[in-house]
Amino acid sequence: MAYNIPEKYQDLTPAPRLDNKTLNKMVWMSCFLQASFNYERMQACGWLWGILPGLKKIHTNKEDLKASMAHNLDFLNTHPFLVTFVMGIVLSMEQNKTDIQTIRSVRISAAAPLGGIGDALFWLSLVPILAGLTANLAMDGNILGAILFLIGFNAVQFLIRWWLMHWSYGMGTKAITMLTSNAKEFTRAASILGVFIVGALIANYGSTSLRIYVGDPAINIQGLLDGILPKLLPLLITIGLYMLIKKGWTPVKCILTILVVGIVGCAFGIWAGDSKAMDADGNTLLGGYTPLVEWYEYPAPAPAEKTGQQAYDALEQIVIDLQGAGVDVSLGE
Amino acid sequence: MEITIIQAILVFVVGFIMGIDQFSFLESLYQPIVTCPIVGAILGNFELGVVVGGAYQLVQIGSMPIGGAQPPNAILGGIMATVFAVSLNLEATADGVGTAMGLAIPFAVFGQYAVTLTFTIMSGMMAKADECAERADTKGIRNINFIEMGILGVLFGLLAVAGLYGGSVLGDLLKDWSYRYSWVMAGLDAAGGAMKFVGFAILMKVMMSREMWGFLLAGFVLSLLCSANATTAGATLILCAFVGVAIAIYDFTANVKIRENAGMCASNMGGDSDGI
Repeated sequence: MAYNIPEKYQDLTPAPRLDNKTLNKMVWMSCFLQASFNYERMQACGWLWGILPGLKKIHTNKEDLKASMAHNLDFLNTHPFLVTFVMGIVLSMEQNKTDIQTIRSVRISAAAPLGGIGDALFWLSLVPILAGLTANLAMDGNILGAILFLIGFNAVQFLIRWWLMHWSYGMGTKAITMLTSNAKEFTRAASILGVFIVGALIANYGSTSLRIYVGDPAINIQGLLDGILPKLLPLLITIGLYMLIKKGWTPVKCILTILVVGIVGCAFGIWAGDSKAMDADGNTLLGGYTPLVEWYEYPAPAPAEKTGQQAYDALEQIVIDLQGAGVDVSLGE
Repeated sequence: MEITIIQAILVFVVGFIMGIDQFSFLESLYQPIVTCPIVGAILGNFELGVVVGGAYQLVQIGSMPIGGAQPPNAILGGIMATVFAVSLNLEATADGVGTAMGLAIPFAVFGQYAVTLTFTIMSGMMAKADECAERADTKGIRNINFIEMGILGVLFGLLAVAGLYGGSVLGDLLKDWSYRYSWVMAGLDAAGGAMKFVGFAILMKVMMSREMWGFLLAGFVLSLLCSANATTAGATLILCAFVGVAIAIYDFTANVKIRENAGMCASNMGGDSDGI
């Protein structure tokens, strides 16, 4: 990162309030939040694209626009249907020319928790309910099912997007003046919240783990690591990358390293990974995939325990055998 | 089943649009209940498409894209289930389409590979995005978004058309390939899962100072605890945010008070010295 993002904007006079037309335009643009989704920064670039209409209006100073665009490319992952809430807050802070570090901390803190709420609201409630109702119509051969699904889903989606944008922008502009009068304390408090949330994200999204089993009976190395500290690997990798980036490694160099280490590691069966591949019978592969070099044996899953019916059948067979041998027994009800 | 060029083009267009819609735009067109009837209509059996759509949608309810995890791809699964149902002329009942859905699974897995590959390549494009930002190049940012949508659209369009012509023979080939090279795809999966740590590290570079390490670990621990409990696991991040906000507000008010008191002490002392 050759470009150093400044701590403050050059032009510190608050920009005029964004008009409803610009806000509504960004409500539409918010649909493309994940247009350039990737593993490194997730929704960052789509997010920036979405709020550009507002940023261009707010930052008439070219240098400030550069700084604002650069810091709005930070890692971001939030729920795609609730993102306008974060947009409203961030835009109200941009408009007030809040310290850049504060905006960055508040943005990730506001964005991250929305993921769980949105999943519960949309993927676990709205879609199952709507799809459950309309799928039955469809299975009777009625196209009304598909139409009702589309209308219902999108009506809810756009109502929420629109309302959240206007509500959070209005709320943000009101709250921000009070907070900026204590700018230094606000930046510090926001950083604490931001760092706290990043710590939570490491444990929440960090999935890196080991596949290796050694010894006989097989011992799972990941199990041992979990005994020391669960999610130890994600924590160590993040801290390691933080050190490397502080030393001047570019994000691209970090990503390429991860890519090589990931694929080479899986050739030797080191990392846990899911290839979603299946064998000829349609069964998933043992341990997620078959390494190129198999130097340890992945233990076969324990045989499934007998179901109640199987146990009952076995018992019944014993009783029949005993009766056949002349013993007077019978199965109770 | 005879396939005309027009049908192939239309299927490509459906694959293209749905490939984009699964992450952007309406994020509902791609659901099987909508996609399957469209594909059915293109192939000349609309009613069968409607039924396959309903059946596939019920299967899909159990595998939603929650918390960034990617279930086997619904789009190619849905498109191919319809193609198989029409080409094998299956009965338009929920049971009849079960066979079609089974044949479609290798394609759903491959759709997932297309997504994984795109997300990996686009991680490299973020350096380009940084450059655009440094030049305040708003068109450049827009273009990066267009590039990924283009890649996803073309990949899904091509896979859908390949499936249309290749049918179950191609399905077996894909299955065999993914079986043989499972370690490559698992490697991409593992590497993709670790790339977000780079994003976290950049954020830390902005916010970290020596006294902040404790807060980082505190957030880490709280998140571990919440996600270990089935009742709180779904709400992990919002619960962490509550605690984080409490700490931040306490720190904010405490520091504002300290500064105000320091100011008052200074002015009091000033007053005394004036008196002398």
